[in-house]
Parts: sequence; structure tokens; C-alpha cells
Amino acid sequence: MRVVSWVIVVLASAAAGAFAWTHLPRSSAAEPYQPPRTADGVPDLNGIWQALNTANFDIQSHAARPALAVVPGSPRTGIPGLVRATHVDLPAPPVRALGAAGGVPAGAGVVEGDEIPYQPWALQKKKENADNWLERDPEIKCFMPGVPRATYMPYPFQILQSTNKVLIAYEFAGATRTIHLDKVGDSPSPSWMGWSRGRWDGGTLVVEVTDFNEETWFDRAGNFHSDELRVVERFTPVSANHLMYEATIEDPKVFTRPWKMRMPLYRRLDSDAQIREYKCVEFVEQLMYGQVGVVNPETGSRNQ
Amino acid sequence: MCTKLVMLIAGAGLVVASARTSAHHAFAAEFDANNPVKLRGTVAKMEWINPHTWIHLDVKTPKGTVERWMIEGGPPNALYRRGFTQKSLPQGAEIVVEGFRAKDGSMRANGRDLTFADGRRLFVGSSGTGAPKDGRDSSEK
Amino acid sequence: MSYRHLVLRALTIAAAVLFAGCSGASLATSSTTTPRTAWGDPDLQGVWRYEGAIPLERPARLAGRAALTEQEVAEQQEVEKEQAAKRLAGFEGAVVGRRSVGESPIRGNEYNSFWQDHGRPRQVSTRTSLVVDPADGQLPYTHEAAKAETRAAARYGVGPYESYLDPDTGERCLTDGVTGMMWQGPNGGHNRIVQSPGYVTILHEEYRDRRVIPVDGRRHGAVRQWFGDAVGRWEGDTLVVDTTNFLDRTNYEWANIWTRPSESLHLIERFKRLDAATLEYTITVEDPATFTRPWTAVIPISKLSDDTQIYEYACHEGNYAMPNLLRGGRTDAARAKR
Repeated sequence: MRVVSWVIVVLASAAAGAFAWTHLPRSSAAEPYQPPRTADGVPDLNGIWQALNTANFDIQSHAARPALAVVPGSPRTGIPGLVRATHVDLPAPPVRALGAAGGVPAGAGVVEGDEIPYQPWALQKKKENADNWLERDPEIKCFMPGVPRATYMPYPFQILQSTNKVLIAYEFAGATRTIHLDKVGDSPSPSWMGWSRGRWDGGTLVVEVTDFNEETWFDRAGNFHSDELRVVERFTPVSANHLMYEATIEDPKVFTRPWKMRMPLYRRLDSDAQIREYKCVEFVEQLMYGQVGVVNPETGSRNQ
Repeated sequence: MCTKLVMLIAGAGLVVASARTSAHHAFAAEFDANNPVKLRGTVAKMEWINPHTWIHLDVKTPKGTVERWMIEGGPPNALYRRGFTQKSLPQGAEIVVEGFRAKDGSMRANGRDLTFADGRRLFVGSSGTGAPKDGRDSSEK
Repeated sequence: MSYRHLVLRALTIAAAVLFAGCSGASLATSSTTTPRTAWGDPDLQGVWRYEGAIPLERPARLAGRAALTEQEVAEQQEVEKEQAAKRLAGFEGAVVGRRSVGESPIRGNEYNSFWQDHGRPRQVSTRTSLVVDPADGQLPYTHEAAKAETRAAARYGVGPYESYLDPDTGERCLTDGVTGMMWQGPNGGHNRIVQSPGYVTILHEEYRDRRVIPVDGRRHGAVRQWFGDAVGRWEGDTLVVDTTNFLDRTNYEWANIWTRPSESLHLIERFKRLDAATLEYTITVEDPATFTRPWTAVIPISKLSDDTQIYEYACHEGNYAMPNLLRGGRTDAARAKR
């Protein structure tokens, strides 16, 4: 009798232990997250997502600065013996009135290794882009943002998954990407948002994007590419409410080797979460055309 | 322009959509129908813009200098569906443009009739796009 | 796919729809089972385009007639075939030929009409208007809207253009509006419908217009937009979409006044798949700012082959027409001064 009850106790403990062991919270290192699946049996990426970082300002680590367009302050004079060592940047006149609302927040970079391997000529061009931000950044004119910049602009986007196509609907300039999971021909021409082909690699959606034109930037810091850009993205659900996003950048005309960006994308949990329009063309018409016609709509008077 | 098309087709007794579809028909506002041009040049750059592509054309003047013209071409998305791609009009291609100059006299023109140097036609009607399999070349089947 | 094959396939589809269309003005309900998405919703997916020759409003010469006779249909089919063949033969090219551009007999139509071309004859139906209510097939404009429409027609393509506010919304690369989106556009207008659980998304090629429509029958939100706030629900196999909360853009120039949104615009749309190749699209437009009463149109929309793509529409990214026509306006004004 005693042996039997002992056995029962041991077995029960073992069972309890086993039960407890299988229901321990798993660390992500121990086992990858298993997302819910769509009716087609693939990981479900449907939802409204948003990046929360400063990558659109600058994909590399950066200190806070007064504005996106700056002019150098002049050196202080007048006090004998005083040498001002610190270089001072002032907000450029066109953006000065924005004050602190126009500043650039500090942020960590999203580039692996924090270095963008530019060829020497291209590094020079990046600096020129940054110095001429107001004239050159395509975001200012409400042009389509390209990939991967559209991912980390400060607006939510929506992933809509169908059997053969995955759409990504972005707010900025109403840009939309169609990711073809089925076989498609080649892009007939270069485009702003590229030509996207997707496939599943385990729990990751891998998207190869090609056929870009040379017009888009990676951020507001002047980082750019040529029409030989090729981007490979990886979207991996890692919890119910976030994805890890990676974008590998290849452009033999501009960089010495491929390089990578990586960031979490967070699910928007507002009960009424919805992407909205950001039809910014009408926001920039005065900037682009106000002085071109017979009449300037700002003043109502004739342009000279 | 759609309204003109309506007039043309109505003459044939055909009932057409009464709505004006879409835009970018402001020909008379942009270009001067009394100022025709004929240019021969090489394609420096293509802008694949809708509803009209823009061809940046290097045109050699009789003096030997090179002028950069911008030529308004056909609607790319319609042309893609006929097999026309960037390969059909690559950088360096030599084309002849007959069209109308911009009203303000600048080096811009509407490309009314575009042909390759060898006589193949571009953007004129639904065929003769210079694209493969557009029905022009009987040997292509 | 080869061009010939495409034309043959299209003519077959056209014949099928023609048969359906010519069986009278009645709009048959589905007798076939609608295909389903993987999660069980009715499947409306694909690339769709209106292939018909039915005008929006009934032409004046057909006043009082809701249907053409078989003879008239046959005649119109011949005309459509002829027009398509002319376009295919390079109508402008044949006419302009090798004569100088200055002698062009289609002066004023210097833009090739082929970009309106579907690549095949448009489908003829006995119906004389897409508008089915009011019964006279006419849009019930208010007095002010009728005047605005006359003005829009007179301005179309010619201006005057004194500033960027004077070209119509399409010439500004904004949009031509939601109302006509499912059946209007270059080459008839391409629309890709993509479904995912809880959403139906429509990608319109022109202007890259996009509608992401939740289909959980939720209430309208409070945010006004160019395309309003659309909410959908399934009624059997029919998708019903209710859209309100438009921004007021009545003071903008529009190529077609009947597409302009005001704050009182209210659209009710019904999408029903009739068969593998046809979607029946019904739209009811209510807007006291433009119309004296609601009106309804029914449009049969055809499915294109699965390898048809919607291509990127970069318009504002290279809208040289805008500065060109504004500079043209300045040139005209300077000349007028002298």
C-alpha cells in the first residue's frame, strides 16, 4: 500500500512538474513566436503598423539639432582673447519661425554598424544633399517616398494580405505598394516605389524590390541611391503586436557593399485605428507654382 | 482631347460617354499650334510620368552646340499594356520629333509624331509604338 | 501573352457580356454561385474595367427612350468596330501620315486619342444611359451646378489659367473624385480589387487613387477626407458601401461637376459579382449641394485577365504641364498687353 501511494505521489509530482514546465512563459530566445495564420496558412501580417524612431530625420545616430536646414553662425568677436571653439548652427531663415517645432530630435541610428558605406564621390554628394535639403528633399514636394523610407515615415501604414498579393497602403502622398506573391513579369520602367516580389521564408515575408528610379532619398539627411538600387526586406512577426523589419540595401553605383537597416514596427492598437489620407499635393502647390502664373494666390496680385 | 474626340465620333453617329474623362488636355494652354518644330536628337533621360512621359532630348544645333529639349510623349501606362517598355526607348536612342513648341518659346515641345531614325514610329495611334508585337512587323508573330 | 491572343480573348469576353447586355434593360441577378475568398467572403478580386459604350446620361436625340432597337444596336456595333479598327490602324497616323504637323486635319486634337482606346471595340448594349434613376437618364443638377457644368465644359483644356487654382483637379494631379472611379479613366480606367479579412481595397490606376474599405459595418468616424469615410458590409453576396464625411471641394475646378465632393455628399454603392467576368456596380449619389435629388447609375464592369497589372501613376512627380500652362498664360497675358 505504501509503495503504491508513493508511486502515485511521484507520478503526480512528475505530472504537475511536466504540466508546469510546458506552460512556463517562453523567452523569445528559446522558441520563435508563432503568429496566427491566415486562411491561406501563412503568417498573418494584416494590420495597421507604425515605426517609432527618428529614422526619417536621419537613419544614422545623430544629436539633436536646431532645424533641418541650418546656416553657420558667425564667430564671436569683440572680446579680446576669446576664441569660440564650438561651431554654432542656426536655423536657416526659411524655417526659423518654426522654432522648436522645427527641430530635429536626437536618435539612435537604424543602420547596422551605424555606417553607410558610400563610395567617396557619393559621400560628397550626400553632404551636398544635406546642405541643400530644402531644395532637394523629395519629401518636401510631396513626391512618393520610395522604399524603405515609406516604412519609417511618421505615419501609420496598413498591410492587406490576399492570397496572391500583399498590399502596403501608406499615408504619405497616397503611396501604395503591390507585393506580388505570384509570378509576374518585369517592371516596364523604373518607378518611385519599385517593383516588389514577395515570398515566405518560414515566418518571414521576404520582399525583393527592384526597378527604382534615382529620385527618392532614405531620410531627411540627404542619404540617397541610384537607379541600380535593390532592396530586400524581411517582415517577421515577433509578438502579437510587433514585427521586426529589416531592409538590406544594395547599390553598386553608390555604395561599396550592401548594408542593412533594422527596426521594430508596432501595431496600432487604437480601437478605431485606420490609415488616413495625406494628400499633400495641394499643400505644396503654393510653394511650387505660386509665383509661376499670372496671379499669385497668396496675394491675389499679379506676378512680375 | 476628349471633347474633340466626342465631336469626331459623334459625326459617325456613335454615342459616346458624355463625361470628360480625366485631365492633362490643356494642349492649347501649353503649346503653340502655330509653332511647329522638327527636332532630331538622342534620348538623354526618360521620365516615366503619367499621363505624359517626358523625354529629355539632346539636340545638336547647326552651330554644333547641343540643346537640351523636353518633349512631352505618350501615356506610359497605356503603352506598357501594348508591350512598350523602357527598353523601347533607351538612353542614347536617336529619334525625330515633330510637334509643337511651348507657348513661352522655351525648349519644350509636345511630341506629336515621334519616329526612330530608321523610320519606326512611336506614340502615334495604337500601333506603331515601336514596341515588339505591335502588329507592325509581319515577321513578328 | 501575344497581342492577337489578347484581342481574341477580349472579343470572347465581349461577346459573352454583349449577350448578357443585349438581353434587354433588365439587370439580371446572379444565377451562379459567387466564388469565395479563402476566409469565406464573396470574392470580387481582380482587375476590372468598364468596357461598355453606354454613356452616363441619355443623349438628347434618344430622349424618352430607355432602350435601343436591335437594329440600332447592330448599327452601333458596326460603328464601334470601325472606330476601334481605325484606332488600331493608327488613326492619327493614317490621317496625319507624312504630312507636316502644321497641316494636321485634326488640329485641336493634337493629343492622340489612342490613350482613350481600350484596344478592342467597346461593348454595345440596348441601354441608352448608365443613369437609371431619374427615369429620363439625366443628372438632376441644381441650377447652380448646371451652370457650373457648362462653365467646366467651356474651360476644359483651354482655361484661362492664371494660377494653379485654375486647372481642374486632374490637371493638378489630385484626383477626379470617387463618384466615377469604378468606370472612368484613361483606357476606361483600371481598378484592382484586393480583399483581406475585414477589408476590401480598391486601387484605381489613375492618380493612384486608393480606397481601403472596412467591411465590418462599423459606424462612420469623424474625419473628413477627399474620398470621405467609407464603411462596408455584406448583404448576402453583395458588398454595400456607405460613404460620407467628404471634404468640401466644390470651389475647386473639376473636369466633371458630377464628381465634385461637398460636405453633404453621400454615396451608396453596391458591388455584386454576376458571373466570372462581370461585376454589377450600382451607385446612388445624394448631394443637395449639386443635385436636386439622389440619382442612381448601374454599370456592368468586366474582369480583365489575371496578368493585367496596375502600374504606378506618378503624376505630380513630373507635372510639367502645370508650370507650362501657367507660363503659357503669362505669355498670353504679356501679348495681350502689347
